[in-house]
Amino acid sequence: MSLLSYISDNRSDLVFLGEQHVELVLISVAISAAIGIGLALLTQPVPRVRDGLMSLTGTLLTVPSFALFALMIPLFGLGSSPTIVALVVYGIFPILRNTVTGIEGVDDAIIDAARGLGMGPARRMRTVVLPLAWPVILNGIRTSTIMLVATAAIAAVVHGPGLGQLIFQGLARIGGKNALEQTLSGVIGVVVVALLLDLLFIAIAKITTLRGLNV
Amino acid sequence: MSDKHTPGDDAMIVLDGVSKHYPGQEGPAVAELSMEIKRGEFVVLVGPSGCGKTTTLRMINRLVEPTGGRILIDGEDVTHSDVDRLRHGIGYVIQQIGLLPHLTIADNIALVPKMLGVKKAERRKRAEELLEMVGLAPATYARRYPRQLSGGQQQRVGVARALAADPPVMLMDEPFGAVDPIAREKLQMEFLRLQDRLRKTIVMVTHDIDEALRLGDRIAIFGPGCRLVQFDTPLEILSNPADDFVRDFVGGGAPVRRLSLLKVSDVLASFGPADDAALGRTVPVEAGESVHRALELVLAARAEGVEVALAGGVRRIGLQTLLTAASQPTTVPA
Repeated sequence: MSLLSYISDNRSDLVFLGEQHVELVLISVAISAAIGIGLALLTQPVPRVRDGLMSLTGTLLTVPSFALFALMIPLFGLGSSPTIVALVVYGIFPILRNTVTGIEGVDDAIIDAARGLGMGPARRMRTVVLPLAWPVILNGIRTSTIMLVATAAIAAVVHGPGLGQLIFQGLARIGGKNALEQTLSGVIGVVVVALLLDLLFIAIAKITTLRGLNV
Repeated sequence: MSDKHTPGDDAMIVLDGVSKHYPGQEGPAVAELSMEIKRGEFVVLVGPSGCGKTTTLRMINRLVEPTGGRILIDGEDVTHSDVDRLRHGIGYVIQQIGLLPHLTIADNIALVPKMLGVKKAERRKRAEELLEMVGLAPATYARRYPRQLSGGQQQRVGVARALAADPPVMLMDEPFGAVDPIAREKLQMEFLRLQDRLRKTIVMVTHDIDEALRLGDRIAIFGPGCRLVQFDTPLEILSNPADDFVRDFVGGGAPVRRLSLLKVSDVLASFGPADDAALGRTVPVEAGESVHRALELVLAARAEGVEVALAGGVRRIGLQTLLTAASQPTTVPA
């Protein structure tokens, strides 16, 4: 009962932190997507470099988030910038991998026909490859987003914004008044944000899936 | 091979000592090859798989870059020209069709005109025209997506797309290969009728000798060692195969198959001026009809021969004469 009353007493605070959390994740994902998709396109002619990048970004994902955030302090200090940098690093791999998979999954016959009709590489990428690979790429962005919602909660160790603050503050004074409620409301907030963003992606997928593909 | 080869004026596509070697591969994919394809001619490249026919086709629009020789299209050496511009002028149809699944049928057909900067309303009109031409009702199909069409219908769209910018040359790689046998024959016949009207210069690849004999004005048979073994009319290939490979490849029944390629007029020409005397009932046939069709009519009517209306009067020939003339391997019109 006290959890509910804690939440209702602090709802403006919770909403504010929730919004911060969403904003943080969306900014980071946007940058990750730009880098991930960009790298996939740039390295397409050189599969070796591309494979190397995938291993590298995949490996970065195994660095514990707590440690990665801490490692950012000497480089970027405290606050939003180290948080965003660390989240971007985590977010790249799923997007890069899905973009590569999506591009490779485009039917060779379609590419061959497009080439044979005199469609140059840039135009082919724009009107054939990317639209057809888009559902897979979007799924990568979605995976990254959900992952970053959870990881962003850890950002509070570098005094980053978002719902992580509630969790860390609560844990730091566990046993004290409302400490558990504070922690739990942070956790619930993270889950709610994750759900909302997931719904957002389902909607985006519905809207952007090209008509001819689901007939 | 002469490098100062001067093609005739009516040559549309000239392959001059063209070859393709892939690095790290022992033999050539295509051994030095010279061919001359005339304007408006329908040439079929045929042979067992791996004999270089598809590679040859793909060198013409430079999807495969030749390692040696020159390719001339309409007198212009295209080996070094702008590759996309070259391809805009060459229709391309492949077995897997390769329609863009996220574009409507009309947009698929209008792809090349769009790249050439044709206005939207005009593209739309052109797409509808072409749909009509390949036998698909524009009102029904223009706005559909490729996956809503059957394989045969999709390939009609593939042909329409290749024709969209009215290119003088068409390349077709087993265009009817993925279509079921009944639809295939129908498509082939329709395509021949279309070609009669359009008179494109067509190079088509197939592994099906019957398809080649049915469609080609001339047939290029590729054999072992990626070499061109014989390049001739269907009738000549059936009548005078260059070697045992061609004879084997063409398969049995050549004399009977010739019947559908020989015309009644060919028989008349070789048979001389005299009519067969004392014929019973005859059936009228056109001089341009195939001997095969004439025989069919004679047998169906239980007649003894055919009568052909010519400028100089009616000629009558008996069944036996038809068969004898048709069976002579030398009876080949010039």
